[in-house]
Parts: sequence; C-alpha cells; structure tokens
Amino acid sequence: MAALGRAALLLSFGLIAYALVAGSFAAWKRRRRLALSAQNALIAAFGTTVVAALVLWTALWRHDFSFVYVADHTSRTLPLGYRLSAFWSGQEGSLLLWLVVLTGYSALAVWLNRRTRDLVVWVVPMLAGISTFFVFMLCFISSPFTTAAAPADGAGMNVSLQNPYMLAHPPLLYLGYVGLSIPFAFAMGALLSRRTDERWIVVTRRWTLAAWTFLGVGQLVGSHWAYVEIGWGGYYAWDPVENAALMPWLAATAFLHSVMIQEKRGMLKVWNMVLVALAFNLSIFGTFLTRSGVINSIHSFAQSSIGSWFLGFIVICVVFSVGLIYLRLPLLRTKTKLESLVSREATFLYNNLLLVALCLTILWGVMFPVLTQAVRGETRSVSKPYYNFFLHSFGLPLLLLMGIGPLVAWRRASLRALGKTFLIPAIASVVTGGTLIALGYGSSIPGLLAYTFGAFVAASIALEFVRGTRARHSLSGGSWLGALVELVGRNRRRYGGYIVHASILMLAIGIAGSSAYQTVRERGLHQGQSMEVAGYTLTYERLQTRQEANAVATRAVVDVSRGGSHVTTLYPGKNDYPVEQQVSNEVSIYHDPRNLGDLFTIADQIDKNGTLFLKVLNKPLVNLVWGAGFLFVFGALVAMWPDAVEQRKLAERYAPGAAAA
Amino acid sequence: MIALSVAAALAVFILYTSVAGAGTPQLQPSDLAVHSQGDIMLVGTVVGSPAGDAHAAGGLHFVLKDAKGKHTAARVPVSYTGTVPDLFRTGREVVVEGTLRNGTFVAKPGTLSTKCPSKYAPAPAKKST
Repeated sequence: MAALGRAALLLSFGLIAYALVAGSFAAWKRRRRLALSAQNALIAAFGTTVVAALVLWTALWRHDFSFVYVADHTSRTLPLGYRLSAFWSGQEGSLLLWLVVLTGYSALAVWLNRRTRDLVVWVVPMLAGISTFFVFMLCFISSPFTTAAAPADGAGMNVSLQNPYMLAHPPLLYLGYVGLSIPFAFAMGALLSRRTDERWIVVTRRWTLAAWTFLGVGQLVGSHWAYVEIGWGGYYAWDPVENAALMPWLAATAFLHSVMIQEKRGMLKVWNMVLVALAFNLSIFGTFLTRSGVINSIHSFAQSSIGSWFLGFIVICVVFSVGLIYLRLPLLRTKTKLESLVSREATFLYNNLLLVALCLTILWGVMFPVLTQAVRGETRSVSKPYYNFFLHSFGLPLLLLMGIGPLVAWRRASLRALGKTFLIPAIASVVTGGTLIALGYGSSIPGLLAYTFGAFVAASIALEFVRGTRARHSLSGGSWLGALVELVGRNRRRYGGYIVHASILMLAIGIAGSSAYQTVRERGLHQGQSMEVAGYTLTYERLQTRQEANAVATRAVVDVSRGGSHVTTLYPGKNDYPVEQQVSNEVSIYHDPRNLGDLFTIADQIDKNGTLFLKVLNKPLVNLVWGAGFLFVFGALVAMWPDAVEQRKLAERYAPGAAAA
Repeated sequence: MIALSVAAALAVFILYTSVAGAGTPQLQPSDLAVHSQGDIMLVGTVVGSPAGDAHAAGGLHFVLKDAKGKHTAARVPVSYTGTVPDLFRTGREVVVEGTLRNGTFVAKPGTLSTKCPSKYAPAPAKKST
C-alpha cells in the first residue's frame, strides 16, 4: 500500500518536472507539439496525485497503523468522519492536499483555456513550477507514506480538531490559498509571453473570485469553529496564523476591484501585476508562518523542519515575480490617465490603497517580533490594540467607500450630481447616528462610526437596486419582482458585487455589535445558585455525566430565564478524552432572536465538590457575522455564474483576427 | 496622488507607533534577570505540578523554565487567576502576560494561553513517547 503511494508521488514528481522543463523549453523555442505534451503531463499529474491521496485515505479508513501518519493522527475509537479528515490534520497530509488541489486546478484551468494557446503556453510551466515545490517536499522531505512497525493503537487526534468544522475549514482554506496560484500563473504567463493586454484578467476572473470566496468562507468557518469549540467567547484573536489567511484575502480583494479599472479603462496594469503577485506570495507566506514556528503563535510549532524549505521557496517566488514585472515594465505602460480625483476610478484607487495599507500593517504586526529581534536583539510583539487601531483607521473609511463608490460616475463626476445622489444615504446615516446617541450607544466611538457609515452604505446599495429595478420595470413592464430578478440576471457581476457589499456590511454590523457592546460576567456557583447577566437569570441546577464514543462528557445543567419566565436550558461542560489524555471545554449557546445575539456560557472550572465556575457572555448581533457568510456566498455565486452574453462578447473581442488588429 | 495617499497611510502608522509605543517584550524566564521592568509576555514550559485554584483567592501557582535555548536552569514562579486553558499542564509551553514583582511573575487575569497543537501539527506530547 505505502509503496503504491510512494510510487504514485514519484510519478507525479516526474510528470510535473517534465511539464516544467519541457514546457519552458517549448514556450521559449515555440515548439507546439512539445508544449502540448507538457500540458498533457501536467494534466496526468493530477491523476497520479489523486492515486496517492486515495492510498492515504484508504489507510486512514482501514486503521493501517503501519503508516506512521495514520498512527500519529488517529486511533481505533476515532469516528470515521474524523479519521478521514485526519488527512489534513498533520503536515504531510496537508502538503498532499495542497498538491491534489493544485494539480486539479491546474489541469482544469489549462484544459478550459487550451484554445488560447499563446497565453497558456507559459502558464503550464508556471503551474508546474509551483507544483514542483510541493511534490518535491512530499517525495523527499515530508512523506505521508513513511512506514514503521504498527502499534496496537494510534495516538489519536487532538481533541480540538474533533469537530465537524474540521471537515470543512481546512479544505476550504486550501481551495482558496491554492486557487490564488491560477491568476498568478496566468499573470506571469502573460508577462512571459508578452501578452500584456487584459486577456489574462478576463480568463482568470472567475478563478480569482472563486479562490477569494473559498478563502473568505474558509476563514469565517474557522472563526465559527473557534467560537463554538475553543470556548473563550471570541471568534478572531489577531493570531499570526489567523492573519496569515486574512492578508492574502485582503490583497485579493484589492485585486478584484482594481482589475475592473484595467478592463474598463486600461489603467493600473503594473499595479494589478503587483497585487496578484502579492496575494500569491502571501498565501505561500501564510503556509510558511503556520509551519515554521518563526513567529510565536498559539497555533504554530517550532519542531517543524520544513520552514526553511518554505522560506527558500518564498524567496524564489518573490524574486521571480518582482524581477519579471520589472523586466516587462515597458510593456505595461498605460495610455489612459486618471482624469479626476472625484470619479469611480479614483474611489477604486482609494479602496485599493486602504486595503493594501491594512494588509501591510497586519504583515508588519506579524513580522514585528522577528524584526525587533533582528534590529534590537529583543523580541517584542504587538497585540490586539495595534490591530484594532489599524482596523479602525483603515477599515472604517473602507466601509464608507463601499457606499460612495457605486454612486460616483466613471471618468469625472460633477460635485452637483454627487450632492444629489448622496442626499438620501447622508440623511440615513445622520438619522441612524442621532438615534444611536439618543439611545445611549455613543459609548463606543468606533461602534458608532461603524453604524453611521453602515447606514450610508445600506442606503446607497438599496438605492442602486431601487433605481435599477424601477428603470427595468418601466422598460419591460411586468411584476416588480420580475423586474428585480431580470435586473440582477442581466448585470450579474455588478449586482452580485452589491450583494457581497451588503454581506460585508452585515459582517461589520455583527463585529461592531458583538465587540463594542458585549457584556461579560463570571462567578462561582453552588448547585441551586443563580447569576444575572444582561437581563437573563442563569440558575445552576445540577451536574450530569455520560459516556460518549471516545470521551466522558460532564455537563452542568443551567436554567435560563428572563423576567421570571423560562427561556431555555443550557449545558456547558467538559469532555474528557482518555486516549488522547486531554480535556476540552464544551460551550453552550442560546441564540436570542430578539437582538440576533448569543448568550454564551462556558464552564470555566468544575470542582470535585460540584462547584461550577461559570463564565457568561452576552454578544448582541453576533449572528449577523455568520449570516453574512451565507449572503457572501450567494453574492459571489451571482457574480460568478456563467453568462452566455458575456462569453459571446469576449469571443468576439478576442477572436484571432481582432487580437492581431 | 498615489504618493500622497501612501504618505497619509504612513503618517497614520507613525502616529500610532509614537503614541502607543512599540509592542510588549516577549521574554523567557532566563531573560528576567536582565529585563524585569514593565509589561512582559512571558513564554516558558511548565515544570513541577501546578498548585492552587485559579478561581479562588491566592490563585493558581506554577513554575516556568525556558522553552528553548541553553539557560535551562532559570526558573520563575507565576501566580495567576482567571480562565485556565484546556491544554494547560506540566510540560506544556505557555504564554502569559504580566509583571515581575519581588521575584514572582504576577500575571494579568485571563492572559494565560497554551501553544496548542493545531490543525497542521501532530500532538507533540504523543510524539515523544
């Protein structure tokens, strides 16, 4: 079995190395048949990598503890779902998952674009180059197919990984991280083949959107996991490993916006190249951070030996992309210039600068311990206040821009026209701000700003939908709902984008509500005693214990009432895992429909005499954070959905004759 | 235009660093002999058995040693109140924030965190056996 896995990986290595060498040579010397052969090798490498992955999955499924990986990450009592997800709970498996996704994406992207040969010819060796690194690591440095004498039982899985989210969060993040390789490879391919028009952008638009959506949803799922499982009552802690996923997402967000200017006005060619390279390099850097232990994170481990390999790979990628962009600068000159500081282009540019500024300050914060160690010989680290400061100073203006941007005309907007379109959103935000202050929510300035800006954005998005629907209705008649559906259907990209904006707004409202206006109480309780939190009365009734598949579960029965009437019963407690010799906190949450918030209970400590130390958090509006995720996916899907009209236009634009003219 | 915006972003940045200072030092027990002033993030490995109750008067007491490097002899006692992470136990690497007072590291409540084996890493306690 293990031999089959190793052979499959070696075969992948051969195919990928061939695709890299032969593909580069063919592209350089313009050998069509050789290029085709390299392309086929890259597609075949997906097949062999899948075989390797199936071998590992089979071993996990069959409890084959002769695989060191299986023995290290699973045990006989581990349920099947977690056994299969153990595929990505360790380093070797994670690398293999990365390679499976990368070769799969490569095969699909190359095959879909096989007709645009002059562009793809350099994309094949680019993708093969990235894959080479991972397949090399898997074959020679960190193999999932190492074998040893099988122990009677495995070491089991880390208990915080025994959660349904484990099935979704890492694969989603990988689909996102790895997906950024595709636009990067096409961008570099376009530079290498000197086809620097916006075709690579058009071809990879949906890839970028998909990768960005996966990355966004993956992070949100991870946050929700931390929220319900780790049990400290928060969902984001600015930990380096969390930031590792946020940074490429921010860079990709900037990229998604700035490519629209290049498509529409032919501007920002260099900037787009820089952004796509930044997003890709940050995704590799994120993996390096997680794996190397260079930065003190609660996630990372110093024991890992593959950090320096990653560092080398990052250096190669950065030098390559910077060097190539520099060499091709003359080809990236634009003819059009920014006409006015008050125009759609300009707001896109402000949005870009803020996103990149936020991204780079986070990078600075993450690297701070390493930098201070190098410069001053003392490790210093920045924490929450640092990140919150920059989230407020760059994030709040970004929020406001989301409302302003769509209302401003392309090229040059007149201030008078702007005054007219801004009237309703401005009134909405002033009214919201006034109401909040009157209700006594002025205590948090960032919270107040988030809500006033939020009202502006909400009004401006609503206005866009109303105007569009009204225009369509007067044009074609029929029902209002029909007009709305038709409007969105005909401009999927634009209205999909607005839906995503609405989801980001929801996210901002949820974050502001649950952080700026949360209440925390903690108290030791004997059985029968109660505590009061934000209008709720929580009474600790008794303890109960039950045996689960691989854990002993202890739960405190806590009655929750409000104004004398019973609301719900919560069961915070702890699970004791004998095989893994670990204890895990199991929180219990009541979702309050009145304020869209959560009453979050943690059994912080249960004494032998039955005394419970209960920690309770009231987090208003927090469920908007999770709801935003669904709206985000819906908006992204609308924007991504295949569009026959768009395809036809593109086909005409890039027809062989048209391209040459 | 771009230059102006970059300058603005940079100004915000410098404003922050000048107002809020430059982070909290991250130290190991052996560093405390030299650097013992102000707020410190202390990183170390738990040795001996922890005593006391983190939710009672007096708090939880444990001893930390350097997690890496060659000063393996240095020890510092820590007193702590607040939430104790699930993974806290003897032999684990932990991070805690606080100040050094009369030879004891007095932690801020609720700042104790363990460097937990995460989604990508194998459980280290098992590896060594």
